[in-house]
Amino acid sequence: MALLISLTILLFLGVIQAIVPYLVKRTVVFGVMIPEQHIKDDYVVSYKKQYSILALIFSLLMILMFCSWISLKNPSDELLILVCTVIEFGIIFVNLALFYYFREKMKQYKEEMQWTKQMKQVSVVDVSVRSEDHLPPWFIYLFPMVITIGLIVYTLYQYDLLPNQIPTHWGLNGEPDAFTEKTPLTAIQMLLFLLLLQLMFLGIQIGMKFSGIKLSATNLTASKNRQLTLRKSTSWFSFYTVLLLTMLFSFFQLTTIHPELFGDSILKTILPFGFLFLILVGTIVLVVKVGRSDKTPPASLEKGIMDVNDDQYWKAGLFYFNKNDPSIFVEKRFGVGWTINLANPIGFLILIVPIVIILIITLLIN
Amino acid sequence: MIIRIEPDSDIPIYIQLTNQIIEGIAKGDLKPGEFLPSVRAFAADLGVNMHTVNKSYHELEKKGIIEIVPKSGAVIKRHSHIDQEAYERLYQMLKPQIAEGLVLGIEKEELVDLIEKIINEMKKNS
Repeated sequence: MALLISLTILLFLGVIQAIVPYLVKRTVVFGVMIPEQHIKDDYVVSYKKQYSILALIFSLLMILMFCSWISLKNPSDELLILVCTVIEFGIIFVNLALFYYFREKMKQYKEEMQWTKQMKQVSVVDVSVRSEDHLPPWFIYLFPMVITIGLIVYTLYQYDLLPNQIPTHWGLNGEPDAFTEKTPLTAIQMLLFLLLLQLMFLGIQIGMKFSGIKLSATNLTASKNRQLTLRKSTSWFSFYTVLLLTMLFSFFQLTTIHPELFGDSILKTILPFGFLFLILVGTIVLVVKVGRSDKTPPASLEKGIMDVNDDQYWKAGLFYFNKNDPSIFVEKRFGVGWTINLANPIGFLILIVPIVIILIITLLIN
Repeated sequence: MIIRIEPDSDIPIYIQLTNQIIEGIAKGDLKPGEFLPSVRAFAADLGVNMHTVNKSYHELEKKGIIEIVPKSGAVIKRHSHIDQEAYERLYQMLKPQIAEGLVLGIEKEELVDLIEKIINEMKKNS
């Protein structure tokens, strides 16, 4: 089981990372903004291809070495998972290095070609775009939150039934493998974390609504389609994740209170793996859907104009810092999804506050 | 309706915004009774400071083109006939422009043709 999960994750990570240049916004290549007129430029196309091939070869080599190590040494599950995690970080690190290597090349090439000097920079806004922006309403998050609060109340009500050792961590087989002393706080700590997580996702959902719908003057249809798809798909994916997490945590909490409830049922083994599987499938659907949403070239291309060159706001190509932009979140430059506008403290608060509270609770308990 | 801004232009962004919104209403792309996007949404979409959009909205309100309703936003006002105050303002605005034209040698008929041309441009869609 551990081997199957490790290989699935590694393969997933390796492939997704390798195809990132083809999933991002069409006018951004390695975090560098390229005018629509030049995205099919030979150099631009070949840099993307080189990155993907190199990234894929590296990941496959690592997986191959991982497999041969397993067949030779036959390691324990713990060691296997540990090595797998190290390899995951290795893949991410090497891909990041590749990203910076090609980003430098791309920047130099853009400088050489002087595209920004030859074209007029324009930004556009569609005044009526928000009537087409169909985001799920914020109150759907009340549903999982009510379940969590209900479970907290139920746990405290059934406090006597709880074992003297409260599980705090579960293994891949669905059995707890770490425990802590029973107190009213430790009895509900996992549910409190879940509630904070739900609040954080709700905050992200609201923050997303207050973030700009950035369109491209040179490809209105494709850019609008991508922005609307990104907003809608990531919103629903977040909610899907919250629902799955709520189900998983509720299951663990209920088995702690009533160990006999599910007994030796198969649910215990398939639930953690099923959770992982459903998250992976959801991620693939999201990435493919958003990644494909802006790949249609414009019907007609106006000469001499380009989108505003916003490279200056992207520190190190990955971090957005723009004091003028009131957006809380903006679309990622390398990858599919969102990143925060570091110049806007609200986004920071949404992500940092829950983590700080979780840390405080953890410190209080130990 | 699409609004296009040139951040590097000599014309300040808030004036570009104001002019394009007015043109949008004149062309019928934006209709009386419709709401303009919230200042925050507009600024976020454009990636400009909220003050810029705010300034433009206040300019439009001063001209009597929109009304800023607290908590619901900026709504485009309906005008059936020009009032005295607006007429006076237009008179003062056009005077130096027409004078410039006359100095540069434009004939009265050409001037009338020019105004007609602009009006036709605005009414093209309706």
